[in-house]
Amino acid sequence: MSLLEKVLIVAENSDVVGELCTAGRACGDKVELVLIDNEAGVQEAIALGADKIYCLNTSDQDRMVEDFLPTIANLLKQEKPNAIILSASTRGKLLAARLAAKLATTVLNDSLSLEVVEGNLISKKRIYGGAALRDEKATGEVSVVTVSAGTFNALDSDNQRKGESVSVDFIEPSYRAKRLEVKTKVGEQVNLTVAKQVVCIGRGLAAQEDISMINELAALMEAEVGCTRPIAEGEQWMTKDRYVGVSGVMLKPDLYLGAGISGQIQHMVGVDQAKVIVAINKDSRAQIFQYADYGIVDDIYTVVPALIKKFKE
Amino acid sequence: MNIITCYKLVPEEQDLIVNDDYSVSWDKAEWKIGTYDLNGVEAGVQLIESVGGKLTALSIGDNILENDKLKKAILSRGPEELVTVVDNELKDLDGHNTAKLLAAAVKKIGLFDLILCGEGSSDIYSQQVGLQLGELLDVITINAVSKITPQGDKIIVERSLDNVVEVLEITPPAVLSVTTDINVPRIPTLKEILAAGKKPVTKFSLSDIDEENVPVVEYIKTAAPEQADRKNIILEGATEENINKLYDYIRQELA
Ligand SMILES: Cc1cc2nc3c(=O)[nH]c(=O)nc-3n(C[C@H](O)[C@H](O)[C@H](O)COP(=O)(O)OP(=O)(O)OC[C@H]3O[C@@H](n4cnc5c(N)ncnc54)[C@H](O)[C@@H]3O)c2cc1C
Ligand SMILES: Nc1ncnc2c1ncn2[C@@H]1O[C@H](COP(=O)(O)O)[C@@H](O)[C@H]1O
Repeated sequence: MSLLEKVLIVAENSDVVGELCTAGRACGDKVELVLIDNEAGVQEAIALGADKIYCLNTSDQDRMVEDFLPTIANLLKQEKPNAIILSASTRGKLLAARLAAKLATTVLNDSLSLEVVEGNLISKKRIYGGAALRDEKATGEVSVVTVSAGTFNALDSDNQRKGESVSVDFIEPSYRAKRLEVKTKVGEQVNLTVAKQVVCIGRGLAAQEDISMINELAALMEAEVGCTRPIAEGEQWMTKDRYVGVSGVMLKPDLYLGAGISGQIQHMVGVDQAKVIVAINKDSRAQIFQYADYGIVDDIYTVVPALIKKFKE
Repeated sequence: MNIITCYKLVPEEQDLIVNDDYSVSWDKAEWKIGTYDLNGVEAGVQLIESVGGKLTALSIGDNILENDKLKKAILSRGPEELVTVVDNELKDLDGHNTAKLLAAAVKKIGLFDLILCGEGSSDIYSQQVGLQLGELLDVITINAVSKITPQGDKIIVERSLDNVVEVLEITPPAVLSVTTDINVPRIPTLKEILAAGKKPVTKFSLSDIDEENVPVVEYIKTAAPEQADRKNIILEGATEENINKLYDYIRQELA
């Protein structure tokens, strides 16, 4: 496989440097990193695969990642990479789209894989809620890509690797939002992607307090609890880091149990990689049964208590 | 306040046809307003209700935009006027071209304080049109906006990131892409649907806005992924026997 000559990766913080370096190395011969974080990460970034690092000065606390747009845009003009890769996070997507607007191109967002064919970068994306995969390529001179978290794994650090770093002067944006406050979201954080067992609930659950019944079953199964998007966003019964699916968390458990979930593609894409899928739904025509290894057609308010009783025996 | 809310017509998700060769089509699909664009519309309606002004809906696409029911569907939700850019060529537009054409249409509409977009279009969900639009119009551009509060000539915006909420102060004009939990879009009443038929609609062609669609992305291949083989053992009814079986299946996987 051929590689692009030069790829610029833009890391909004040092946590994503590893996976962006891997993504960069997957398609670029030379991988250069724009690091929007303090300079402490330089050696580590080189070890993880960066050849050259542009350090942006973040010592001014008022500066938001977004404020570096003119600085990065200017760097692009000077360095002329063949592709720019960012994280598919909220900040990453904003930066990517604004850079793409300047470059008159479309961002290849949420890339699942990157491949260079005859000098062109081809990115794979889920569309139609995950019902289809699309291979797309930008026809302009520079491709702008964002990669989903967890798609590319950081390589083992190689402390023998050599690289250089330079600091880049900040270019003041002509307008910016003023940050008044940063509020930490309340509540604990979970990472369902590493859970071995997950019990998910959907709109079949009639009331928020009924989650206690689900929690009880999950505890007996040593499972984490997750949900569908409407439970997290419409009802707000659970935090967003618990909703599973194409726009939420992608699971990889040994066992998934879905209770009161219709099984629409946007949710099931996040469950697809489970070894075993179990479904409880009172409607025998519910789509989730098509994806299930084991299913039972009945009310969750009958099935879940009965299962809890069995587990306790 | 002058507000423009951008929405896209999308095929009903359930109506996707997956063929035996994994190709997909929307040939039999019903069309509707993008699910998450409705939050942008509702946010606009609420702002107008609180500070007054005019809300204009804007969409770009092919002939489906001419559908009467769909025009009423958007206007019954509160916008005072609808502006469309219609051309049969405007199908499967890429993100940059959509934003470029929207920017040209916005210039036709005139001065604005805010443009509101959804979190992503229901079908492609590329989450960039609003952001590119803001950049092309050269105004403040923010995504993941979960609250908008006008305060004199400023606007206070909350932006929802992974584990923090940023509170930002901005001076309009701005383009904001809102989250789906910023509000619960209202369901129009029959009266609102009837009244929608009388609201003004302005239709532009590509030549009216003096822009063209020059694709910058090539779609090489679109196909449904192969499904994992599943056992599909489905038990009918929570009889004692079935519960025992289900328990055994689960137990065996936990071992
Ligand atoms: C762009 C886009 C992205 C999206 N991303 C996601 C995503 O990442 N994750 C996600 O989950 N969704 C996502 N959605 C939403 C998705 O399309 C569905 O709307 C959602 O998954 C449905 O959730 P649900 O199954 O809980 O609710 P419903 O579809 O309402 O299903 C409820 C089910 O419960 C059953 N039921 C009701 N009562 C009982 C009972 N007492 N006992 C047993 N069964 C009962 C019903 O038969 C029904 O099948 C997305 C949508 C769009 C447009
Ligand atoms: N053809 C269109 N016409 C008007 N607005 C659009 C169009 N496509 C996208 N948008 C807006 O841009 C947002 C993001 O779309 P996308 O980048 O496709 O996910 C949508 O939620 C809409 O508000």
